[in-house]
Amino acid sequence: MSEKDFAVPQKRHMGLKASKIISNTSIHILLAVISVIWLIPFVCILLQSFRVESTYQVGYVIPKQWGFDNYANLLKTDFPRWYLNTLIVALCAAVFQTFIVLCMSYALSRFRFKMRKPLMRFMLILGMFPGMLTMIILYRVLADLGMTQANAVPGLILVYIASSGMGYYVSKGFFDTIPKSLDEAARVDGATRLQVLFKIILPLSKPIVIYTILTAFMGPWGDYVFAQYVSFGTSAGKNVAVGMYGWLTNDQINKFYTSFCAGGVMVALPVTVLFMFLQKYYVEGVTGGAVKG
Amino acid sequence: MTKYSDLEYLRLSKGDKFLYRLKCFFSGIPLFFKNLILAIASAFKKLGLAVAHEAADLVNTFKNGSVPTRVSYAVMGFGSFCRGQWLRGLLFLLMEIIFIGYMILAGGYWLGMLPSLGLQGPEQVATTVTSLRGGTNTVYTTVYHDNSFRILLYGVLTLFFIVAFIYTWRVNIRQNKINDQIIRSGKKIKSAGDDMRSLVDNSFHKTLLALPLTGILIFTVMPIIFMILVAFTNYDGTHNGFSNNLFHWMGLNNFNEMLNWSSGATSYAATFGEVLVWTLIWAFFATFTNYFLGMLVAMAINKKGIHFKKGWRTILVLTIAIPQFISLLYVSKMFARSGIVNNFLMDMGWIDQAHLIKFWEDPTLARITVIIINIWIGIPYLMLITTGILMNIPADLYESAKIDGASAWQQYTKITLPYMLFVMGPYLLTSFTGNMNNFNVIYLLTGGAPTNNASSAPGTVGYTDLLITWLFKITQGAESKYYLASVVGILVFVVVAVISLVVYNLLPSIKNEEDFQ
Amino acid sequence: MASVKLTGVKKIYDNKVVAVHDFDLEIADKEFVVFVGPSGCGKSTTLRMIAGLEEISEGTLEIDGEVVNDLQPKDRNIAMVFQNYALYPHMTVYDNIAFSLRLQHRPEDEVYEKVTNAAEILGITEYLMRKPRALSGGQRQRVAIGRAMVRNAKVFLMDEPLSNLDAKLRNQMRAEIILLRQKLNTTFIYVTHDQTEAMTLGDRIVIMQDGFIEQVGTPTEVFEMPSNLFVAEFIGAPKMNIIKTRLECKNGAYYVTPFGVRIPVTGEKAEALKEKGIGTQDILLGVRPEHITLADPDCESAIPCTLEVNEMMGSELHLHVYTADESRLIVRVPTIDLSAATRRELVYGKALQITFDSKVMHFFDPETKKNLLL
Repeated sequence: MSEKDFAVPQKRHMGLKASKIISNTSIHILLAVISVIWLIPFVCILLQSFRVESTYQVGYVIPKQWGFDNYANLLKTDFPRWYLNTLIVALCAAVFQTFIVLCMSYALSRFRFKMRKPLMRFMLILGMFPGMLTMIILYRVLADLGMTQANAVPGLILVYIASSGMGYYVSKGFFDTIPKSLDEAARVDGATRLQVLFKIILPLSKPIVIYTILTAFMGPWGDYVFAQYVSFGTSAGKNVAVGMYGWLTNDQINKFYTSFCAGGVMVALPVTVLFMFLQKYYVEGVTGGAVKG
Repeated sequence: MTKYSDLEYLRLSKGDKFLYRLKCFFSGIPLFFKNLILAIASAFKKLGLAVAHEAADLVNTFKNGSVPTRVSYAVMGFGSFCRGQWLRGLLFLLMEIIFIGYMILAGGYWLGMLPSLGLQGPEQVATTVTSLRGGTNTVYTTVYHDNSFRILLYGVLTLFFIVAFIYTWRVNIRQNKINDQIIRSGKKIKSAGDDMRSLVDNSFHKTLLALPLTGILIFTVMPIIFMILVAFTNYDGTHNGFSNNLFHWMGLNNFNEMLNWSSGATSYAATFGEVLVWTLIWAFFATFTNYFLGMLVAMAINKKGIHFKKGWRTILVLTIAIPQFISLLYVSKMFARSGIVNNFLMDMGWIDQAHLIKFWEDPTLARITVIIINIWIGIPYLMLITTGILMNIPADLYESAKIDGASAWQQYTKITLPYMLFVMGPYLLTSFTGNMNNFNVIYLLTGGAPTNNASSAPGTVGYTDLLITWLFKITQGAESKYYLASVVGILVFVVVAVISLVVYNLLPSIKNEEDFQ
Repeated sequence: MASVKLTGVKKIYDNKVVAVHDFDLEIADKEFVVFVGPSGCGKSTTLRMIAGLEEISEGTLEIDGEVVNDLQPKDRNIAMVFQNYALYPHMTVYDNIAFSLRLQHRPEDEVYEKVTNAAEILGITEYLMRKPRALSGGQRQRVAIGRAMVRNAKVFLMDEPLSNLDAKLRNQMRAEIILLRQKLNTTFIYVTHDQTEAMTLGDRIVIMQDGFIEQVGTPTEVFEMPSNLFVAEFIGAPKMNIIKTRLECKNGAYYVTPFGVRIPVTGEKAEALKEKGIGTQDILLGVRPEHITLADPDCESAIPCTLEVNEMMGSELHLHVYTADESRLIVRVPTIDLSAATRRELVYGKALQITFDSKVMHFFDPETKKNLLL
């Protein structure tokens, strides 16, 4: 036994501590870098939205001349109209879609009827068809009903909510985690199934209700494809996504690049604020339901 | 091949074990398909038996039925009325009246036209008008006759309606049979009030599902059936069935047009193949890069001794809040030839004006850029999901592994990873198929660019185009070959379904549900 | 305050699995009946059918003479206590207990009176304003019972109410349920897998296995005269020793020959055997551990064996022994019967002699597993 043998454990002990400090520091640095990468585009949008000296795409980020001109310019375009369209559609879709999704997922989570399994399997298969395909016919049907182009708003609402029952997975996954014996106890206590839903299940489902509302709102808020189809060529029927997409085409970009940035900030702002407050519920919904399916 | 017993298997070397498992997997494939075919056959057999059983039941019910029951075969709801169930009776009768009325007034026409999709299209009719001054003018007006689009649409709807009617009729008979039985056994029949009450209680699911399912039926099922049928017609911009020519049934022609390989590299099939391969590569990378990197970030944030956990998470979560069309369009411009990225690199002196990086112009670079930007989009979301599951891994698993002498890396590969893969297997599958159809990222970032000039297929297909964006492009413009889009759509479905079916049957979390519980 | 009658009740699941076969039972008004059996025997399913939470596939269920097969749980006038308590997590204890009364739109004064009254009886008055998650297991159990109490239901159903509690609390709650039963004076149906609970609580015990009723009887009946091997082994702890042996009948005198030792069968048992006309045959001989005694080596009917494990339970010793042919038996000896010196000697490998009297023997048919004396 030499001194060296004794020294080894101590050295290793020191090494352990040191390596821990090194690894934790490097993780902190990594996270900081990640955060910067993730925030850069948004910071760029924000900064460029205040650029006054030119409206076209430039290679630098920090404006040479600051001002709210781009925001003021938004008012001169159809942007307010688009914004209103989007807001109406998203709010209506959020309300109705939440209602439908909750109905669907509660029924599939709590009732054991003969067609339950086949129904769920059928919807799984339906989901494998590219949804894009159905747009062609839905557009024609909406056109027949007079709900396209300038009148796109009611048409969009209808389409967003109509098939929303297919998105029942997350909330069903959540309902499945509420013990069934609560339902049973309530039914023995004299509640009908309707009362069970309103007095027991819904009060316990706050996170998932908020999550559903949030996602139902965000879908139409940023949807491009279908809105583009339905509002086809008419500025009055566009939503923000379709309208602002037009600003970035090759012949428009030099005129509207900074307007796009300002508009982007206006569109992102309400959702970001909502998220700030409801983040907890969103996280709960995603982590609780997304995987269980 | 030789089968080993458990104890024999344990004696094999590592390589042999792997080979053995590989052999087992491949030798299992024929069995899988055999079982699949058998399952399909037995499903058909069951269907046949069910039909025969239904028919026999109908005959028997009529033979043994009371008078109201027998009348109900012709007048729906009669039996229900006779037994005081006026609500059901009314609904049945209403259904019958509407059905007969509809069939006479409209349904017959649509159904009759369905085989031909219309006989006479719109035409220009010349009428000679004598003007006040005595001269004559020829005025052309368009006269609309049959409309193929409507015929197909309403034809399908009528078929739906007929099926629904037959089902209702069958329910009507079955209820009469049940009522007969109840009367015979001397019990009380449910009244209309009972029916209403049960709709908020025992049969509450019917109330709950009625609206969502109607929506899905009309806005998803019906359009899908319609679009499947369109794949067998020549519906396109020049045959749209109303403002110009009618369209007609084409049989399997369109599939031939899309999949025929005879003209080699310029055939549509070549384009389809290229796009499909890229779609699969994209889906693979988009799914797994996000998954592993997302998990990594989640583990980094959740590691003991890391500060501001909530802060890091909030920063990432907030990026989810910003609508994709803004972030994607903006990022797409950042990477453009004159965008911020190139400018930044130039300012740094790493490149010069002559060597700007062509992020969106070089096919391979464009594809890589798209995948990398998708990581930027996907990590926050995956970070959230994996955080939830990482927290659920029992801490004692790690403690026992540490005592057994596992290093941090071994803990990750032997505990974390198997657990995560097991729990998230189904999620990865849906995320893979979801990425195959990830329209937003591709369309908003590149719009499919750079264009593939070698392809002769419609829709100006590009190197970053997925099947889904290509499908969308086909339907755009004056040419808009809807029928080809439908064919592509059906093929996408087939690919997704096959992948899902195979993976689903291999997934451990489906096979051994209890393993980790 | 009602009778319950089950006639030919059956539960068949969608996958054709039969969970309960032809269940016939009449439960008298104010009777306390316990369903007991191993897990998966169908006892909970039967209870849930009575509650209306599972559909009855076949047969009829009557409460107070009225067929209730098609009634919803809420219309059956029953109260139920669940295994995991099933307290509504978002309501206070008070609201939990008041829930059923409020659904009936009773005036708040009456609700208040009933809830506080029940809380008083159960000793949970000070927790009325708490949420369930702030309560301990025993307190939650009391709230669940309170919720059932206030309903004045005709039948009181309890589905393994004590199985989530630790052993000490379980004993305490068991005693409280007996008291509660005196206070409520209504019909009780109680499901458990624990035979001790069944024996101590029930007026009558229904022992079930694989969806069949094995025996129905008072605790004394099922203990002293188990109808078959399953019941014999299920009731009593540690479980009954079963010895494969032969019953000999010579000149009207019976004896058994466990492990080659001749033990005469006399008294009541011999008479009962004679009455049944049972002759010489192979049997399964059942003897409860507490009925085996340690014998002197010179005793005529002493069975030699070797000690394997000695479990000191406090008031008694459980001795696990094996005989010459490797059969394992358990012997239960009151600690007080043995001197300290003898107890010290009871270690692994110690040779012992055991014996038992014919009064305590149970005879089972090796084929049908039925009790030969029934």
